[in-house]
Amino acid sequence: MILTNLVPLIGIADIIVGLSLGSRLFLIAVGLSLIFGVLGVLNFAHGGLYMLGAYFALAVTTSIVDNFWIAVVVGALAVGFVGVLIEVSTIRPLYERAESDLDQLIVTFGFVLILHEAVRFIWGSQPYSMDPPAVFDFSVQIGSQFNAYRLFVIVMAFFVMVGLWLFVNKTYFGSLVRGTSSDREMASMLGVDVSRLYTGVFFLGAFLAGLGGALSAPLQSMSPALGDQVIIDAFIVVVIGGLGSMSGAFVGAMFIGLLQSIGPQFIAAGHIAIPFLAMVLVLLFKPEGLFGGIGE
Amino acid sequence: MVKENRNSDNTNKLTRDKRNNTVTNSKIPRRRFLQATGASTAVALAGCTGGDDDTIRLGALYIFSGFASLYGDEAEQGFEMAAEEINENGGINDQELEIISRDTEAGADTGIRQMRSLIEEDDVDGLFGLDSSGVAQAIAPQVAEVQMPFMITHAATPFVTSPEGEHDNSVGNDYVFRNCNSLAQDIYGAALTAEELDAQEWATIGPDYAFGYETWDYFQAFCNGLGVDAEFTTEQYPALETSDYSPYINSVLDAEPDGVITPLWGADLTTFVSQADDSGWFDQIDYTLFSVGMGTDLPADGSPLPEGEHASTRYDPFVPDADANNTFRENYVEEYDGLPTYNAEGAYRAVYLYKEAIEAAGSSDPDDILSEFNGMEHSGPVGEYRFDERTNQATVPSIWGVVTQDSEYESNVLDPVNVYDAGPDELNAALEGSDLPSGV
Repeated sequence: MILTNLVPLIGIADIIVGLSLGSRLFLIAVGLSLIFGVLGVLNFAHGGLYMLGAYFALAVTTSIVDNFWIAVVVGALAVGFVGVLIEVSTIRPLYERAESDLDQLIVTFGFVLILHEAVRFIWGSQPYSMDPPAVFDFSVQIGSQFNAYRLFVIVMAFFVMVGLWLFVNKTYFGSLVRGTSSDREMASMLGVDVSRLYTGVFFLGAFLAGLGGALSAPLQSMSPALGDQVIIDAFIVVVIGGLGSMSGAFVGAMFIGLLQSIGPQFIAAGHIAIPFLAMVLVLLFKPEGLFGGIGE
Repeated sequence: MVKENRNSDNTNKLTRDKRNNTVTNSKIPRRRFLQATGASTAVALAGCTGGDDDTIRLGALYIFSGFASLYGDEAEQGFEMAAEEINENGGINDQELEIISRDTEAGADTGIRQMRSLIEEDDVDGLFGLDSSGVAQAIAPQVAEVQMPFMITHAATPFVTSPEGEHDNSVGNDYVFRNCNSLAQDIYGAALTAEELDAQEWATIGPDYAFGYETWDYFQAFCNGLGVDAEFTTEQYPALETSDYSPYINSVLDAEPDGVITPLWGADLTTFVSQADDSGWFDQIDYTLFSVGMGTDLPADGSPLPEGEHASTRYDPFVPDADANNTFRENYVEEYDGLPTYNAEGAYRAVYLYKEAIEAAGSSDPDDILSEFNGMEHSGPVGEYRFDERTNQATVPSIWGVVTQDSEYESNVLDPVNVYDAGPDELNAALEGSDLPSGV
């Protein structure tokens, strides 16, 4: 309420909505950032993987078992395996190719179109919606009214952030990830199976995108264009936070989420440009992003 | 290819090409594919060859995919029903009627491409349809270029029936007609509805393109012109296909208006209503006026519009209570197991307008059809109306009412419903002092 008094136009609900938008952005951006930090691959298809997570969760609840939690886990895992298929079959062959950055970009962009059209072919282009789990499907009145599920998504994003930090900084696999991201050849000489590690990281990144899509499904309508909408925002997040930085992705995502929530208060239309403006400012004054490399 | 047998005597086998949403009669040989590439060539060919075989061809342009595909589906049901009725009763001037439909994908470029394809490749005798004001605005000048009659049945921008030169945005011309009511006619009724409500502060949330902005501009102009005691506060324009409206919803709620007018449509409206409900919108906002509401509500799963709110429709299945309308409604319900939306009725009526024009002229030549359309007096399910000779806009009424669940049809309807005369006299008087054209 203090904040409400200080800034009359911004309510608590705006903050909650902003953080929930930021949370879903974080789940997609952190995977994008992780994959770039370790593999050096700018995965354009990450938005498509996020969209796939939402559709897989929908498919589980409508066709297999009407349980939201199972749908989220199955959806995220399935997207992880789709990510593995993409990495093993199309990106891995490019690692050894000289100057392969552009090839990787083209391949991942190709999957943007493939995933979009595949979803359109299977589910059609009409939008779908999904109910929140019953335990969180109630309204909360703090200043304004919002669905309690938004709070759950915010808490989940925080846990994922903490879990990822512990995983990367406190586990053996995490040390391999950090070491490989610093010097791939040295890690390889020391016996690290780099190919398998890359696949594991791609699985993790895709899993996180799928988790973001599945968790966000009850907060938005699903259509094949869903991935196209979020990937631009995710790129802005990682540019602001710093490519390869998990904490940067978290801070950047929450910042962009809040801008998206509060922007309409001040500009009736065109506020979609505000995050781009923030990105331009970061690129001008701190081009490496607000945070450092992997593990930061 | 999906083939479906529509008639028991098996004389009209309809073949649907899903990619192009093309409905054709398989007994009718395809007219030779015209290799014309330029518009001028197309005009010549269309003008010369139209009606030179046993088929009258009409081209239908609607949205069949994406967030607003429900409008194309509804229109298709309307024009298919009309075509079947007409062909069962001897066709048009003893010629079979064939309707070829194409998907505009709610995009101007695609719409123009599909329109040219219908003229150049399918050699249609006339065109009808359009759901999006943005697409209509872009297509209207193209229609004049190819000199082909176009009966708009849904897209509502007043600027396509406001003669070119009347306003900077006016693109109306001799070839574009509209048989449903326009945004101006619709919002004229909204202002009259607002006048009756205990609401002073008004806001809007609409799609981020011409249709959203024009709705707000006309609402303010009509309120001012009609002397409605209204103040105008927040306006929000989320992009089409927004997946989460929460920031915009909160922004409107924070401004605490008494009433909101929203021209959100298609799946966007369904998404918005669901998320607005979660945010307590309908508890906090006294009145929400849905200007495209009933066109989305009737075909949508779960009927998104909350009971007790106000909505408009370009055609009400129960208005007027006349034989023509009651027969159409019951035939439609029997055929499709649901009440006809205004998009279905508009498409249905467009086909009959072409039938009557071609029969009156004794020819399917575009110029002859245009002569018949201009100033035409017509009667259909929507009632009796005429096309204004200056604007080519149908003088159909503005219909607003309260959303109410009907147990007989298991659907939302408008009850009570108010029918406002919305002809040139009413609208031009209400817009006096404004720089906005009535387009009527």
